Amino acid sequence: MAGHDIFRLRDVTVHYGNRAALEGVTTQIPCGALVALVGPNGAGKSTLLRALLGWLPLTRGEIRLGDKHPSHLNPRLAYLPQRLEVDWDFPISVREVVAQGRWPSLGLFGRFTAAEWERVDRALEELDLTALAGEQIRRLSGGQQQRMFLARAVAQGADIFLLDEPFNGLDLAASAELLHLFRRWLGQGRTVIAAIHDLPLVRTHFSNAVLLDTHLIAAGPTIETLSDQNLDLAYHRRIPVLGARP
Amino acid sequence: MSFLHDLVVEPFGYEFMQRGLASALLLSVSGGLLGSVLVLRRLALMGDALTHSLLPGVALAWMLLGQGPLAMLVGALAAGLITVLGSALLSRLTRLKEDAAFGSFFLVAYAAGIAMVSQAGTRIDLLHFLFGNILGVGPSDLGLTAAAAGVTLAAFLLAYRGIVLEVFDPTFSRAAGMRGGWFYAGFLSLAVLNLVAALQTMGVILALGLFLLPAATAYLWCDRFGTMLGLSVAVGMVGSTSGLTMSYHTGLSSGPAIVLCLGAGFLGSALGSPRYGLLSSAKRAWRERRSIRHTTD
Repeated sequence: MAGHDIFRLRDVTVHYGNRAALEGVTTQIPCGALVALVGPNGAGKSTLLRALLGWLPLTRGEIRLGDKHPSHLNPRLAYLPQRLEVDWDFPISVREVVAQGRWPSLGLFGRFTAAEWERVDRALEELDLTALAGEQIRRLSGGQQQRMFLARAVAQGADIFLLDEPFNGLDLAASAELLHLFRRWLGQGRTVIAAIHDLPLVRTHFSNAVLLDTHLIAAGPTIETLSDQNLDLAYHRRIPVLGARP
Repeated sequence: MSFLHDLVVEPFGYEFMQRGLASALLLSVSGGLLGSVLVLRRLALMGDALTHSLLPGVALAWMLLGQGPLAMLVGALAAGLITVLGSALLSRLTRLKEDAAFGSFFLVAYAAGIAMVSQAGTRIDLLHFLFGNILGVGPSDLGLTAAAAGVTLAAFLLAYRGIVLEVFDPTFSRAAGMRGGWFYAGFLSLAVLNLVAALQTMGVILALGLFLLPAATAYLWCDRFGTMLGLSVAVGMVGSTSGLTMSYHTGLSSGPAIVLCLGAGFLGSALGSPRYGLLSSAKRAWRERRSIRHTTD
């Protein structure tokens, strides 16, 4: 893989109470790649995303973002949770939501200048939302709602996108649009790290994969990582009745 | 003209009515702001429970420390804190869910409060406590109300962005490094402070009316948070002014009179709001059905 590693994980271990959600994960995540986190339910994909954000205390090990520890004040990191649990009836417009992306760097009092609005409008344009900017957010489709939050992340200045199951609930057209967007971001040197269920989708579109089952099974280029043998290790034990690989 | 004068101007010629009006207008400011958060964060019923649970604290403070806004505030804060912490503890440590824990707690507290007030005999007028008495708004009460409204307004001006994020998208708020715990502690303290300030004018049970109804009304008209805040405050001011006028002319307690006026505005909006009212959604449904029938014919 060309370029350097954006995240370096050493022996990353996270426990919820007595239960280990992640155990001794050591790997690197390359900069400017499309990385899929793959594994069965409960394998620790969401936990890994939250650990990368710096939200979880690690029981053991270390995560480095560039040469620093990740912290939730880092505007380079953007996170989209699995279900977008906001109140869609909230009295707010698409443009105002995207403008929130500027707030972390402006703080409570920083003035929202014309230059700030320009950034907001560029983000709206990049995500193809300009025509919907003034709408109340309930009037967006599922794909558009997701793009609105991605636009907020772009306005924030993020270049590392941590997404939890971003394709869930999207129809074919919306999924295709999202993939198109990811590929464009890749060209701009941005990094996408996404937890994903759909293995065929990962195989076709993601350059890198991290295969988890609490422990790290494999990581690297997708083809090698998702080998039959590795997938057996990750999934087979869990579904002996079905016998087949997913 | 003279009819209008008698109706609206005359009542506010009296000093006690002026104090009552000033108190109601100040409460409309904090009520509209806090009420909007209450409505959007779905905390309306919790607010109701909280209001009821303040009664024993206020009654006890009254009996032990005498009638003064500061004593009432201390008593109410203690009662509110015990209720919130107690029910949080119950729902965490037992299988009881939050609503059951909170509901049970406030019922017991409310009953204890009524028992206390009755036991105190003639020293405290129960009706006064429950429904408010505009005659009782003294200068020191007005001072407390002004302080409560001022602190609330200042908090909203200073922390506006944090409040929007915390109400709209706590996950992003967390990613931006804000602390949700502070938001709740702050919101709860402001709510208790303003509820106590509202006791004289509105009474224990109806104090929440000046918070909830203006915000619920504004919510039916607005698609912007800032507009909703402003409209809530305006609705509260109009409603409380007309309520006090009604109270003066009919002899009805000020609390119910204000809530009835706000209620009329709320019901009117729920029916007639062009975007989110019942009539407009019925009209939309009817049109859709008709267009389906047309296309199938």
